[in-house]
Amino acid sequence: MNAPLSALDQRFAALRASLADAAPPPATDHAIATAVARAGRRGVGSARFAAHPAVRRHGWIAWPLALAAAVTVISFVTRALAPNATPDAPPRHAAAAPASFMPVVPLAELERAGDALVVPARLPRMSLAQFGLPVNPALAADAIDTELLVRSDGAVLAVRFVD
Amino acid sequence: MPPAALTDSHQASDAALAARLACGDAGALDPLYRRHRSSIYRFALLWSGATAVAADVAQDVFVHLLTHAADFDATRGPLQPWLLGIARNFVRRRAGVQAREDGEPPDELALPPHDRTAPPPDDALAASRDVARLRLAITALPPHYRDVLVLVELAERSYAETAAICGCELNTVRSRLSRARGLLARALDLDHEPAAQARTGKGSP
Repeated sequence: MNAPLSALDQRFAALRASLADAAPPPATDHAIATAVARAGRRGVGSARFAAHPAVRRHGWIAWPLALAAAVTVISFVTRALAPNATPDAPPRHAAAAPASFMPVVPLAELERAGDALVVPARLPRMSLAQFGLPVNPALAADAIDTELLVRSDGAVLAVRFVD
Repeated sequence: MPPAALTDSHQASDAALAARLACGDAGALDPLYRRHRSSIYRFALLWSGATAVAADVAQDVFVHLLTHAADFDATRGPLQPWLLGIARNFVRRRAGVQAREDGEPPDELALPPHDRTAPPPDDALAASRDVARLRLAITALPPHYRDVLVLVELAERSYAETAAICGCELNTVRSRLSRARGLLARALDLDHEPAAQARTGKGSP
């Protein structure tokens, strides 16, 4: 058997009933509709780190890229500071004609990047597919030489495949 | 038969719409907003006592959903409690509430004195005054008591959902609710209210 409602419960019920039809004002509806329209033009959700359409479709690649960049930066700096380092050694792929960089962040963020570093990195050849580039299935398991454009905080801004 | 796109948007589950939103389909926000706007607005209104704050919080919550839908994990529970948790954070931030609340609860709520000499109003007016006084008393509750009272008693969320929204233990929800009811009962001159009334039907074990 249900206990009778206390006076406080009766007041809660009256308060709930008084607000049963409460809803945000039209200005809020309008603000949300505007935000939806604006986001529809710009793209949402993965906007935190995706602007390149390929990256938007395969957003997971940004984290492996960031990890690879961080590891590469550390090894690059460690080798550069080593006593027997040969600073005048030519870059490994100086002879290769490099492809253009493909951004993995919005272009506006690239423009604001300031002092970015070009860092060599070896990525799985399959990562070519994430950028809409052809992959030879026979070599899919191999690594491929790339260069990453890395911001001073380690964020990867763009990538290019150098062979 | 309605067009497929319309049917999809209005019949899709919250989780499916949130997933579409996370993938960049901004249009998925519209059905979610229509489904949940009133609950979020009411929660913020009851918590803050101000329609302007409630409107701002409702807007903040859905703009947050628009840009952070990927943070919603449907395997951890439904969307509405997740949205209420976000609303709670926004409304508390607007009220300048600190994250830690270790202080002792007050013995009494600071409400304007009730005029006992006024002639008794008619029933409808008396009920309206009672509701207004209850709303005022709720906004005078300490924030962590207000959270559980509004969620359990007025938003009709279960104890478990309330615990998840507030990030506290189930027993903490029970004790805060009991204290909140006691404070309200005293403030509203309903002292015959049992201090720790056993609640049923709220999904508590």
